[in-house]
Amino acid sequence: MMRVVITGIGLVSSLGLDAKSTWRGMLAGECGLGPLRYLSLPAEPVQIAAEVDLPSDASADRHSNKCDRMALLALEEALDYSSPELESGDPRRRGVFQGAGTSGLPVAETYLLERLAWRRGNAVEAVYQNSCNVTDTLGLRLHAMGPRSTIMNACSSSLLAIGQAWEHIASGDLDLAVAGGAEALCRTTFAGFSSLKAMDSQPCRPFSRDRAGLNLGEGSAQLILEPLTLAKARGARILAEVLGYGASMDAHHPTAPHPEGEGAARAIGMALRTSGLYAEEVDLISAHATATPANDGAETLAIKRALGDAAKQLSITASKSQFGHTLGAAGAVGAATAVFCLRDQVVSPTLRLVDPDPECDLDYTPLVARERRLRAALVNAFAFGGNNVCLALRQWEGR
Amino acid sequence: MKQELVITGMGLVLPCGTGIKAAQASWESGTPCFAPLPANLGSGLGAACTSFSGNGIIPPMQSRRLDRPSRFAWVAAHQAFQDAGVDPAHLGLRLGVAVGTMTGGDEATEGFLRPYLAKGPEGASPMLFPNCVAVSISGYLSTAFGLRGPSVTQLAREGSTLAALEQAQRWLRMGFLESVLVVGTDGLFPLLTELLQRTHLSVREGLPVVGSGRGLLPGEGAQAFLLETRDRAEARGARIRAVLCGVTALAPATRRPAERSRVLAEAAACITPSVPDAWIGGSSGHRVLDEVEAPLLPLLKRWPQPKYPKTIWGEFCGSGGQLLAAALLEPGRRVLVTAPTSFGPQYAAVLEKP
Repeated sequence: MMRVVITGIGLVSSLGLDAKSTWRGMLAGECGLGPLRYLSLPAEPVQIAAEVDLPSDASADRHSNKCDRMALLALEEALDYSSPELESGDPRRRGVFQGAGTSGLPVAETYLLERLAWRRGNAVEAVYQNSCNVTDTLGLRLHAMGPRSTIMNACSSSLLAIGQAWEHIASGDLDLAVAGGAEALCRTTFAGFSSLKAMDSQPCRPFSRDRAGLNLGEGSAQLILEPLTLAKARGARILAEVLGYGASMDAHHPTAPHPEGEGAARAIGMALRTSGLYAEEVDLISAHATATPANDGAETLAIKRALGDAAKQLSITASKSQFGHTLGAAGAVGAATAVFCLRDQVVSPTLRLVDPDPECDLDYTPLVARERRLRAALVNAFAFGGNNVCLALRQWEGR
Repeated sequence: MKQELVITGMGLVLPCGTGIKAAQASWESGTPCFAPLPANLGSGLGAACTSFSGNGIIPPMQSRRLDRPSRFAWVAAHQAFQDAGVDPAHLGLRLGVAVGTMTGGDEATEGFLRPYLAKGPEGASPMLFPNCVAVSISGYLSTAFGLRGPSVTQLAREGSTLAALEQAQRWLRMGFLESVLVVGTDGLFPLLTELLQRTHLSVREGLPVVGSGRGLLPGEGAQAFLLETRDRAEARGARIRAVLCGVTALAPATRRPAERSRVLAEAAACITPSVPDAWIGGSSGHRVLDEVEAPLLPLLKRWPQPKYPKTIWGEFCGSGGQLLAAALLEPGRRVLVTAPTSFGPQYAAVLEKP
């Protein structure tokens, strides 16, 4: 197996249109949540989200949607940092792995609205839009001819996409992979989570006693992965090492997590096994932490179950407290957060955690960022249907 | 040395009926399954699974929660496990699920959105929303059969199930799992047929004919395949339906249609060192797909003429799963499957029967 490293990250969020400003805002404890501005749903009881202010782009492809544009923006930033040699090398050994987001769903929503009003609607555009479009847009930018994978595992999609990219590079099949996800707000997801009573009308409070649900967010994170040998040979700046991942199904419920975190614990355990990490080496968990009553307690149990006593020594961060739940992009956003924590040896804070749930009794880094030694990190993402993924990362120490 | 992978179980829900016997008869006769669609599934002609029933397999309480792709997948998975002679609950963590779908989640999305857009929040159904995401299919399979290993739901347009197969083989070859249930599933719904008709993608009159440019007709159904390492299959004395010699995907680096043909030919060539006994093609009568696959014919003159399952069972209908099913039903020993897609990666697979 080849060792796999991350050599570039692009991050677009409600805190900033690049990784630098987003990370700076995270460490400063800024919150990207605010009143709904672009998505107009006045009848909805919840009117808060983390929307991205994307500048208008006259050069954008006429078919491109907000997901495409955020993904491209993040990719360009990642490429700028990584500077891979796209003009040379075999394009068959470049791949793109994406967690599917809403992509063109707003177009289908508009079409249906038109039809309900007995108007014709733009059928061609509705057919053209497809969750694979983001993946292909990035693939064309990279002139990539290798695998292009679009994963629809809901909230764990983009973390599994990073896992797939790791598999392809670790097994020696690819020299370069872009992995991540992009998510934009739309009526379907907003109304859907609202109908499930899963959303909080106030800024979400992960791990708090009075947590009342999630807030939705927008954004994109794109990571560039390559074999360590190639990255070193071309003098790339290495951000972190990807060690492996684990995945599991709960076999429990269509939407609710297993109350004891049984499936999530198995995903974490598999991540430890594939990565060769000992529980005691894990200093950080970038948690799924949706702030729903069901998730955070179950995730805490899962962490304790998988890591045992070592769970009490590590730090946990909940990035959704800063820019909401970005659904298909959430896993990649969590991974980007963990990489920056490892690089800078600092844990970004979990906002609004002033009254912790007694059942959530680990160190969640409340309110302010904290410097500490971080050797390895796990990233959690759990999804509808009991689909759990956990990614293992290691600090890059130059060896 | 790479671990050899084999298919030991198959379950089929197709417009011609449910089960391998019905599919075999349909494939041998070559009679198209298209008929006027019932109003709840759309309008015009299509290949619907009108005789499908999950009775006796899906508990009635559960069945009411499921969308069509999930019901089809449940029954196909049940058949595949039976056909393979395995109790999935005993495979535990070493069994994964890889689902491929093009339309999974869309039927529920239409069902969720119409009343929401018309009535606002009071029209939104919390029962329907989880089905709007295609991952719900693997979630239902997980609870139905006690599957607790990894799962992935792949979207790759008309080649989605081959993308799922590719991930399944990777998990097995990396030693993460011993077996993977690969499922292709799609369901018909009114908005789909409306869009196909309004964009002239579907045939206006008559049946689809590959190369005619007249268009496709949609279908629905599910196909499930249990993929295992040969070692594990032989250890438990399983009957091997086919060896998976290879599955590969290459993507065009430009938007030029000719590039799609070129990469499909390259994908097929790199896993087909010798002339196959049979060739299952993914053309559907849809001009774009036909134009991707047609240039392969003169290049591969010595090869057998391809057969086209989508002209019998319809486009979608498992998004490539129907091609794999046909490959297993086809008499030839070594069968090539090519799955052109309207954009993005182009897929090819080779199966060899004992």
